[in-house]
Amino acid sequence: MQKFKIFMMVLLALPLCAFPVFSAESPKAQIQLTVDQVIKVLSDKQIQGEPRRQVLSSLIRARFDFSIMSQRTLGKYWRSATVPEQERFVKLFSDLLEANYIGRIEDYSDESVSYGAETIDGDRAEVATLVNSGGTHIPIIYRLVKKGEDWFVYDVVVEEVSLVRNYRSTYGEIVRKEKFTGLFKRMEAKISELKQSSGSAAIK
Amino acid sequence: MLSNKLISCLVLVLLSGLCSACWTWAADDADITATTSSSAAEHDWTQLDDDEDELVIWDPIESFNRQVFWFNDKFYFLLLKPVKRGYRAILPKPVRTSTRNFFNNLATPVRFANALLQFKGRKAADELLKCLFNSTFGLAGLFDLGVGLPVGSDGEDFGQTLGYYGTSPGFYLVIPLLGPSNARDAVGSVADSLAYPVTSPYYLQLKPLEVTGLQFYEAVNALSLDKDSYEAIKLEALDPYLSVRNAYMQNRAGRIKK
Repeated sequence: MQKFKIFMMVLLALPLCAFPVFSAESPKAQIQLTVDQVIKVLSDKQIQGEPRRQVLSSLIRARFDFSIMSQRTLGKYWRSATVPEQERFVKLFSDLLEANYIGRIEDYSDESVSYGAETIDGDRAEVATLVNSGGTHIPIIYRLVKKGEDWFVYDVVVEEVSLVRNYRSTYGEIVRKEKFTGLFKRMEAKISELKQSSGSAAIK
Repeated sequence: MLSNKLISCLVLVLLSGLCSACWTWAADDADITATTSSSAAEHDWTQLDDDEDELVIWDPIESFNRQVFWFNDKFYFLLLKPVKRGYRAILPKPVRTSTRNFFNNLATPVRFANALLQFKGRKAADELLKCLFNSTFGLAGLFDLGVGLPVGSDGEDFGQTLGYYGTSPGFYLVIPLLGPSNARDAVGSVADSLAYPVTSPYYLQLKPLEVTGLQFYEAVNALSLDKDSYEAIKLEALDPYLSVRNAYMQNRAGRIKK
């Protein structure tokens, strides 16, 4: 009877300690999941053209936090923008980043990715990856933020170059000189240019 | 010829010192406002994080730089790219990879010396060991046997050494044919050219035409292995000049910190 009591207590206590360990997947596992899915889609010859772009788009949008990326990109200009301007920017910026990202990964589909260290600091994390491209190794670090149980990418650092900080410098300069009207015009032109070029075969 | 280059670089650096008195520093992604909240949901994402330094880029000769950028762009698309494509079509990838390895191995003295100058003993030892193995068993550096760091990963140069000792980058500079640089790194590459066997006036003592030819060949070979990254930047960026400028400065700052 005594034994049974202890057994029951342990059994009851088990979920308490097990729950936080197993409920949330690590940022590394989540990034790996997305990257693996993307690679799978890219290597699948059955899916091509527009449907493929749709699948890739939904995979990327599920893992990237475009709203945070937008805020970091605009910096002080975000705070001075009106709400419609902010919404418009997030929409255009998401389209632009997505088109850029798809264009790039289509080039790197034949490469292998290895996963390095993951560092977690509260609700932020960094996952280091190494893309092996014909003998040269390109270090790519994903920066993630935790929302609920999931981790979302808010910056990608390629060879020491933070994508968001790169955009931040360019976009800040354009907003300063040409206001939001000028920036939106440029972004729209760029998006249609990108869509055209990824529609035709890779520019080699 | 080399001393000319050195003198012009020194003049540039001196000029930059003089100019700094008259020019204001343009903060590239500077956004200096006090951060108040930092909790998860209420975090102000328009601020950079505390551990991210403001990257200050000083570009007083932007209009000149933009012209050189335009010239380099034309040079690339009209001359380098066709040559690169022809070259890529003729030689198979393993041959081009070995060529890159060969030049990379030849540049070991530069990386080794600069690692030593920054007291990076482990890195210096890795460079030396890699060079010894690849020069012998790797047939004069044609093959990378995988000792130490992989080929192409961040080797040290004199620009980084200067940065390590606290030299600021100075003004941003686009060099004709060579591309993005800054006052500090331009001086650095002149210093490095003294240690690099192809360009050094000390050990191989090649003629100027031979040096130019070899460097052009090295550049074409390297480009043939690249996945058209310049084309990608040009396609993606709203303003490729600003994008390249920022990427160059971020990359250099990051490598110096390592």
